[in-house]
Amino acid sequence: MNFESSYRIIKLGLTNFWRNRWLSTVATMIMALTLLVISTFAILILAVDKTTESIRSKIDISIYFNESASVEQIVQMQKIIASRPDTKEVKYVSKDEAAEDFKKQYEGKKVIDYLNPENNPLPRSLEIKANNAESLKDIASFIGQEEFKPLIENVSYKEKKKVIEKLIALTSFIKEIGWILSGVFVVISILVILNTIRLAIFARKDEIEIMRLVGAGANFIKIPFVVEGILYGVLAAFFAFLLIWLGIGLIATRTPIELGSYLGTIMMGFFNNHAFAVIGLELIIGIIIGVVCSLFSIRKHIRI
Amino acid sequence: MIEIVGLTKQYGLTRALDNINLKIDKGEFISLVGPSGAGKSTLVKVLTCEEKPDSGKIFIADRDITKLKLEEMPFYRRKIGIVFQDFKLLPQKTVWENVAFALEVCEAPRQEIEDKVPKILDLVGMLKRKNNLPNELSGGERQRVSIARSMIHGPKILIADEPTGNLDPINAWEIVDLLIKINNLGTIVILTTHNKAIVDRIKKRVVVMREGKIVSDRVKGSYAI
Repeated sequence: MNFESSYRIIKLGLTNFWRNRWLSTVATMIMALTLLVISTFAILILAVDKTTESIRSKIDISIYFNESASVEQIVQMQKIIASRPDTKEVKYVSKDEAAEDFKKQYEGKKVIDYLNPENNPLPRSLEIKANNAESLKDIASFIGQEEFKPLIENVSYKEKKKVIEKLIALTSFIKEIGWILSGVFVVISILVILNTIRLAIFARKDEIEIMRLVGAGANFIKIPFVVEGILYGVLAAFFAFLLIWLGIGLIATRTPIELGSYLGTIMMGFFNNHAFAVIGLELIIGIIIGVVCSLFSIRKHIRI
Repeated sequence: MIEIVGLTKQYGLTRALDNINLKIDKGEFISLVGPSGAGKSTLVKVLTCEEKPDSGKIFIADRDITKLKLEEMPFYRRKIGIVFQDFKLLPQKTVWENVAFALEVCEAPRQEIEDKVPKILDLVGMLKRKNNLPNELSGGERQRVSIARSMIHGPKILIADEPTGNLDPINAWEIVDLLIKINNLGTIVILTTHNKAIVDRIKKRVVVMREGKIVSDRVKGSYAI
């Protein structure tokens, strides 16, 4: 296909888009809405993931030992736990280190005056970090074995357990909802765009018939509709990008700190760092939906 | 040039074409006549590859066009011209653009379009009205534009399906005269009509169809059913 006919075909597609501008606008808006939902959830999921990750990295299990447990026993236990594949790090915290931490935490408060090397009630402990939050449970039950019980005074996981589990459940819930809603919107968008392009094709049935009868090749008939589909995708992507940019900006600046502006800030940061990826993804999804719908709708009219 | 052998086409219980055999030589003008439902339009549709026959063959220049592949169809259609009763012009395009469109869709370069379109519009007597839209033209003029479009590829065969059906007698005569002129330039013309006066005036080969069959084929015939 030479430059001149490519130009004619593209021009035909653009003319068609303009001639059916109302239908085209509806299709573009629906597609923009779809892209908006998909990218909002993508950003939300990534932001939540990041938040959870940072919380998770703070989550650990602390084993506090009895005064009777010997250093050898503790070192032995540290080695056993460290050899587990789901364990990231096991750190020994001595009495002195515990006292240091305590002092840092309560700096300027009277309580630290009661703490001195001769009178240090803080226990020795092992701080365990897992590779992922889900394995904390396994590690905790491993520590709960009978053979370790005489050494251990307390395991801190129990206290944080509820928070950890809630967080994990919330993350996967948001992910699931994101997938489902994105899927639903993609289906709606495909149906609306299919219908729009079919209407556009129907409005130009005579033209297509004439094209066929004067000997137009299949590509000459098909490509203007594909151009139209691409145009829906491109416009929708830019529109969705604009909306999400305004939307996230609004959320990030308006969320009161008490309601946890953390997520909003993370979303804004993520969006700013990945703006090209976001618009690129929207363009790709938009163009794919537009082109596939066009080709699907026109295929019947190409035969004979 | 054209040889139709044992052509049959059935729609449900109706036999639209029933074992049609017909031979048309180079440069012939053939009037295909018969009452409505005789099978004329079906024959035209099979000839233009809009419909596939149930059985039979159509040889054009020794090639069976009933076996054409989908991708070969556009090239075949560029070798035949088709004219319809309802003109089938694009209403938003001018006379010039309607004719040029047939070349554009076939990826013709601009120079070829600018050379060919005025010549063909001149042939059908529509060059003066090249900037008019179809709704600014009379029925006869529209049909002239439609003929110009069908002739733009310089086809060896022109198929005119009831081209005078929507026209008053004077315009109808003019269109028939134009078809005769085109035929005299060496193009086979296949004209379907049920207008007796026209057929009698042409004084060329007349094929009469009834109920999907050819019932008469006379070299210098008149309309007789």
